[in-house]
Amino acid sequence: MKNGIIDFYKKRWIFFGISITIMIIGVISAFMNGITLDIQFKGGALLKYDYTGEINADEISDIATEILNRPVTTQLTSNLSNGDKKIVINVAGNSGIDAKDQSKFDTALKEKYPDANLKLSDSTMVEAYFGKKFLQKGVIAIVLASALVMVYVWIRFSRIGGLSAGAMALVALFHDVLVVFFTCVIFKIPIGDSFVAVTLSIIGYSVNDTIVIYDRIRENTTLHPGIAVDTITDLSISQSITRSLNTNFAVLISVSMVYILATANSIDSIQSFALPMAVGSISGCYSTICIAGPLWVMWKKHKEDTQLAR
Amino acid sequence: MKNKKPVFFIVLIIALLMTYSAIFGVSIPIGSSNFTIPGAPEMRYGIDIRGGVDAVFEPTGIDRKATAAELESARSIIETRLDQQNILDRDVTIDKENGSIIVRFPWKADEKDFNPEDAMAELGETAQLTFKDAEGNVLLEGSHVSKSQPERNTQTNQYVVGLQFDDEGTKLFSDATKEHIGEVINIYMDDTLIQSATVTEHIPGGKAQISGMPNYETAKDISDKINSGSLPFSMITKNHSTISPSLGSGAMDVMVDAGMIAFGIICVLLILYYRLPGVVACISLLIQISGQILALSGPQITLTLTGIAGVILSIGMGVDANVIISERISEEIKSGKSVRSAITSGFKGAFSSVFDGNITVLIVGVILMLFGSGSLLSFAYSLLTGIFFNFVAGITASRLMIRSLSEFKALSKPAFYTCRSRRVTL
Repeated sequence: MKNGIIDFYKKRWIFFGISITIMIIGVISAFMNGITLDIQFKGGALLKYDYTGEINADEISDIATEILNRPVTTQLTSNLSNGDKKIVINVAGNSGIDAKDQSKFDTALKEKYPDANLKLSDSTMVEAYFGKKFLQKGVIAIVLASALVMVYVWIRFSRIGGLSAGAMALVALFHDVLVVFFTCVIFKIPIGDSFVAVTLSIIGYSVNDTIVIYDRIRENTTLHPGIAVDTITDLSISQSITRSLNTNFAVLISVSMVYILATANSIDSIQSFALPMAVGSISGCYSTICIAGPLWVMWKKHKEDTQLAR
Repeated sequence: MKNKKPVFFIVLIIALLMTYSAIFGVSIPIGSSNFTIPGAPEMRYGIDIRGGVDAVFEPTGIDRKATAAELESARSIIETRLDQQNILDRDVTIDKENGSIIVRFPWKADEKDFNPEDAMAELGETAQLTFKDAEGNVLLEGSHVSKSQPERNTQTNQYVVGLQFDDEGTKLFSDATKEHIGEVINIYMDDTLIQSATVTEHIPGGKAQISGMPNYETAKDISDKINSGSLPFSMITKNHSTISPSLGSGAMDVMVDAGMIAFGIICVLLILYYRLPGVVACISLLIQISGQILALSGPQITLTLTGIAGVILSIGMGVDANVIISERISEEIKSGKSVRSAITSGFKGAFSSVFDGNITVLIVGVILMLFGSGSLLSFAYSLLTGIFFNFVAGITASRLMIRSLSEFKALSKPAFYTCRSRRVTL
């Protein structure tokens, strides 16, 4: 470390090691936990009821199985902050339930437990082919957005070797998308619409981060011609690191606030998007500084070497 | 050089006005009408936030895709039934590509005991369309109508509803008009009266017109409803979701509380760390956030949870723009520049990265607008408006404010503009 320049390039193997370890942990947990697609993507039926007093989950399973003609699993949950109780009824298979059958089930359920104050809290029914279409659209959006972002970086940063810059920005993006994905896998968050929204947000952040550093590199290359590419990169990252950390901290505060309050009120739809977003924003900052920068230097150095060899 | 001192106060007043309108909404009487900008209280929230029903209805009983005209009729059935249940705030759209109808409606404010599944089951039922005489005797049924469409009477130049009956219908209608000359024939969908017509003459030919339509839309609406009587299918929904109002409002409260606490913390940190540019950053964030709220509530765009994710991303970008600028100014001052030239070159240095960062997010937003559906569209809209306000607030307003403040003698000390980040050089 000299004049406040941090040696990111020299320490690159440590950073690569950290990332690879995270990826391995992710892959292992994907095998252990399996990948759960949200009902939105795979199709299925899920009902949640608020209730008071006592109810028997097994009995409710039986009623549901009888009326809906499909195996059912039930689960009782309660709200951490106010103790409100809920029963989650998950109907097996990947098709929805016709509203008429749902209505029959509702009536039977309320007849069985007239005093439990049963109220439908939320329900989701999706047909499998519908979910598939949503999934396809989501994947297309993510892939296309990443590709176009790469092309933009390629064009805008042609002065510092656009293709390499674009490619490395893409590697950083891929890194972050994987981290978001593995976060969902590890915490058993189903992959749904909110996953796509979170992934796209993280793509936005990560590219923005990467661009700020490329912008510095572009500027420093003009200011200090003839300086080695690794020094220029370390200098540029060091110059903008407080900005990276401060911005990231601000985002982290907002998203953590959302997560904490959502957890306290057990609103899992928000929880399941705030957590991957928080982890993803850390990853976005990290991948830019520790992965995209050093990798780009390696690419550049390799090219210089092959040119010298000629 | 012109005096720039008042500029800060003008921007500040604009920021406060925007914040006020975003929180409370504005209504200014101009002449007889009111010029209104709806604020946050009038915001349209998606079903996932305020609770409600979101259902996709598909035809059942046919093995082909429903035609556009059939879907129009099916929609008119659903709309009529929603009217009947007094669900007026709703959104019924036809998805021609997939041959389905999407129905969304939020809970009414006073809704306590409501079974969404019952309401949904009823919406898709085949409609019972009947022609009845004044006593309520059924003269003929909707299935006897082979076609109904809006037409223009060439003599009176008025819009009419044209009716065409099948063979049996022609006979029945001929008998009915013969018997009821001068009387009224009422057309019902289920138990709802959709149109009354007076029989002026005996009509034996199987073709009739209902006159007195004020415009094309009414004529089309009524013929859609009449066509529903001969619809060859009923609609069922196996794709639907409901969210209870309590769960919905809980989600909303969490977002609002988290947003306010986070904004408070971020402002304190920005001011402590970046001093004067930090204060400016807070005001510019205020413009950005209230601008985004107004961009949603003004044109009454539906805000969903993913839309809020988009708002968080844009605010993050807004914080970033201000952080980059503040860091740059501090750096320039530490390199020995005067406050004024540090501000100029700081903005210049920061602009390209803020610009490029925003354009890439713009790309993501546009892709979503083109390929996204449902909740992703809401996300895209938030992103696109966010980028706009990033340029307006994060770049333009911040620059105007800092420039203006630096004109004040008391605020021109370099210490106000430097932060603790160390300057890194070769």
